[in-house]
Amino acid sequence: MKRVTTYLLLALGLLVLQTSLFPRVLPFSLKPDLLLILVIYLGLKEEIPRGGCVALVLGCMQDVFAGTAVGLFGFVLLMTFLGVRALADRLNTESSLLLLFLTCCGTLFESGLLLFTMVLFAEPGPVWQVLLERLLPQVAINLAAALVMLRIALWIQRRRDAQVGDRVLQYLDNRYEH
Amino acid sequence: MLLELLRKYRTPLLAGCLILFALLLYSANLRHRDHTTLFEKTILQLTSPFQKGLDLVWKAVSGAWDRYLWLVDTEGQNTRLQEENRQLKAELVALEEVRLANERLRKLLEFRDREQLSALPAQVIAEDAASWFRTVIIDKGTDDGIREGLPVVVAEGAVGRIIRASAHDARVLLITDASSAVASLVQRNRTRGISRGRGDSLTLEFALRQADLEVGDLVISSGTGGVFPKGVPIGTVTRVAREEYGLFQSVSIAPAVDFARLEEVLVLIGEEL
Repeated sequence: MKRVTTYLLLALGLLVLQTSLFPRVLPFSLKPDLLLILVIYLGLKEEIPRGGCVALVLGCMQDVFAGTAVGLFGFVLLMTFLGVRALADRLNTESSLLLLFLTCCGTLFESGLLLFTMVLFAEPGPVWQVLLERLLPQVAINLAAALVMLRIALWIQRRRDAQVGDRVLQYLDNRYEH
Repeated sequence: MLLELLRKYRTPLLAGCLILFALLLYSANLRHRDHTTLFEKTILQLTSPFQKGLDLVWKAVSGAWDRYLWLVDTEGQNTRLQEENRQLKAELVALEEVRLANERLRKLLEFRDREQLSALPAQVIAEDAASWFRTVIIDKGTDDGIREGLPVVVAEGAVGRIIRASAHDARVLLITDASSAVASLVQRNRTRGISRGRGDSLTLEFALRQADLEVGDLVISSGTGGVFPKGVPIGTVTRVAREEYGLFQSVSIAPAVDFARLEEVLVLIGEEL
């Protein structure tokens, strides 16, 4: 439960960044899809029951700030999660490069699925033109964001490992020093 | 036996149920587009203070940078502005004359001005979370009299319409979004059409092939779409292409509003506040 709450709070923070900060600093209305990267990470780390539900809720949260109807990103991010989950057992999930590769594939998959779902269910207008025009810049910006997020995650992990290591050494000192 | 099967295929079954639920949710929400759900209201309310805070911090930082640090071309700008100010003052005198003449003529023709709509000013505090869609979030909501479907404008022209509203903020679908369509008229020759968003620009659909359209023509709202009042500028024609065959011509429009610099907007409420 604690992990789920962490994911949801993290997603809310990322959405605030995505809607309030990035539009002001990045040109051409381009913004990285941080929730997609989070869902790819979920696909590598979490099992289907928990990860699937979280991915669906994250997608619905993104729907509140993107597009016109709730459920579109819910479906798309859930499918992305399931796709990554299906591949995760065959991949080396410890590799940092894998996240970048999956981000690239995930962006293409997400765009295709968005278009497919909208054409199937709604009247999307010329959204395919917008998607095609922006697909490559979107892949590039998502890759850059994934790289930054990976660096931050590794830095946090290293700090945490160091703290845990210090505590273990302290414990061993106390245990064996007479 | 059945329980055993369920246990064996629990994960694929759960995945299937989740997919089905997601599709049903999307399909159900498509049918109630002009309705803000409790989930949406809650998320909008939760993030609103952070978005407003970030907006304030950004304005303070960029204001300090522009006013006190980045002063490279301030002197040149000052000279230009003084010159512009002199010209504008001269134009203002001329315009005042025109206004007085207009007033006299209106009285003379017993012109009845149509009822003015109340306008509620609002600040843009956030943009769409995805690069594919064009929506913005404003800092006024149902507590201020905003509801789904109301038109949003600025002095330059049409901005969009409210699609979601919570207590303190609302989401606006911009006219440049691919799913947005506005009933329009070409001001010069009254050619009718539908202005549809294309991300950063618009296209005028269903403009008859024989209609005489030129680059530079102003496109305005026709008032028949039920959202925008008549006469709100949509944009100017930038390209006209007539195929050899076909009923309609292909027309591109540059929006009248600079959506990259959208900060303050007016929501047309309809009745007196």
